[in-house]
Amino acid sequence: MKEFFQSPKIKIFLSVLLVLIMLSVFTRNVENNVISATFNTLTYGMSKVTAAATSDNSDNKSYDELKKENEELKTANRDLRSRLVDYYEVKEENTRLWMFYELKKEHEDYTLIPATVLRRDTNDEFGSFTIDKGTESAVSVGDPVMGENGLIGWISEADVYTAKVVTILSPQTSIGAIDKATGDAGIITGSAKYADDNLTMLSKLTSENKIEKGDIITSSGSSGIYPKGMVLGEVTEIGYDTYDTSRYAVVKPYDDISTVVNVAVISDFKGQGEILKKESGD
Amino acid sequence: MSERSNSFFRYLAYVIELILTFILCTTPGLLPEIFGAKPALVVCVALTVAVFEREIPAMIIGLLAGILTDLGYTDSIGIFAISLTIICFIVGYAANNLIVAKFFNYLLYAFVAVGLLFMIYFLVIFVIPGTEHMWDYFVAHIVSRMVQTFLFSIPFYFINHFIYSTLSPEAG
Repeated sequence: MKEFFQSPKIKIFLSVLLVLIMLSVFTRNVENNVISATFNTLTYGMSKVTAAATSDNSDNKSYDELKKENEELKTANRDLRSRLVDYYEVKEENTRLWMFYELKKEHEDYTLIPATVLRRDTNDEFGSFTIDKGTESAVSVGDPVMGENGLIGWISEADVYTAKVVTILSPQTSIGAIDKATGDAGIITGSAKYADDNLTMLSKLTSENKIEKGDIITSSGSSGIYPKGMVLGEVTEIGYDTYDTSRYAVVKPYDDISTVVNVAVISDFKGQGEILKKESGD
Repeated sequence: MSERSNSFFRYLAYVIELILTFILCTTPGLLPEIFGAKPALVVCVALTVAVFEREIPAMIIGLLAGILTDLGYTDSIGIFAISLTIICFIVGYAANNLIVAKFFNYLLYAFVAVGLLFMIYFLVIFVIPGTEHMWDYFVAHIVSRMVQTFLFSIPFYFINHFIYSTLSPEAG
């Protein structure tokens, strides 16, 4: 055995193996390499002859037949492509509606209008956007707008077919809110300091508040503009306002407002506008 | 015939065998698929030659068979060329020095060599890249190809045994 490993045979074997490995690397990395080209040239004639000898002549078709078949295939392809587009649209619509199905089940009094974000206002750093539903779909100014996981904004302008949404990241927003765990109340309003990070603020908290990180903030429903108990986000930080000595909490919405695509407008809900009516009646 | 001419015609016969089996395997519609695969006839030739010849001629036939198999399918020298070169060299050495290649011993060689060859192929092409549903492919195609290659190598054993005994150096 020892002699075998010292014999010229093993040296030849190892040399051949080395060359093979090099050739393997070469033929794998170089397209149209000499070795493959030579092999293909050598076997081309042979393959042609054997393929011709075994070919099934029933597949031979005239030019006109092929042309006709090609036209038929093109038409079928066009039809299938159009069906595929329809399929994707229906699938997307289905996903969008399913998203709000649970919400509707939970709050039967809500009238939901599913909508899609048409465009985003690039000049607004607070994430405002335009949706594809307007007054024709019963959308009106002031209606709350839901994302997949909670309230994300409200309708500020409504045209016939589109509407503009101001988000809860904007300082224009003012929503009465409450900490579900402690019952501390405040106002949700956006801040230029936090908006870039998809954060908003729960301001006007009393100095005795017991808010803690991780608490869930919901709408209080006190104004009659937003339904009671809609999730707004989670407390991530508690701060102190140096101007008016009040405290505030930084709230992170559960939706990424800058990327949200599918929303729902709540055009009607139980108790909508009741407080406003009372106030105007007084 | 002289010893030299015997050797020449013997090797020529092997090369013709390789070319014919390559044509049989690669020509569309010539060999039917059985259970999702065709036998690798070129491998059958290489293995049966390897049990009769010494290490270096066995290695060269394995090398040629491997290159034909690789270039015939993938346009690059690779797994079959390297594996068959190694396997044929080892079979050539073992058949001459360890276990003499009588028919039943040949079955043992063929069983181990064919199994090893296709397991290396499966490992490199399917397992290492993590191909999805690789075991389905293994059951549906690789096992069938291994079994067929093993079985088809039996007639080649007798053909090459005849060629070797007729055109061996001793016969001259």
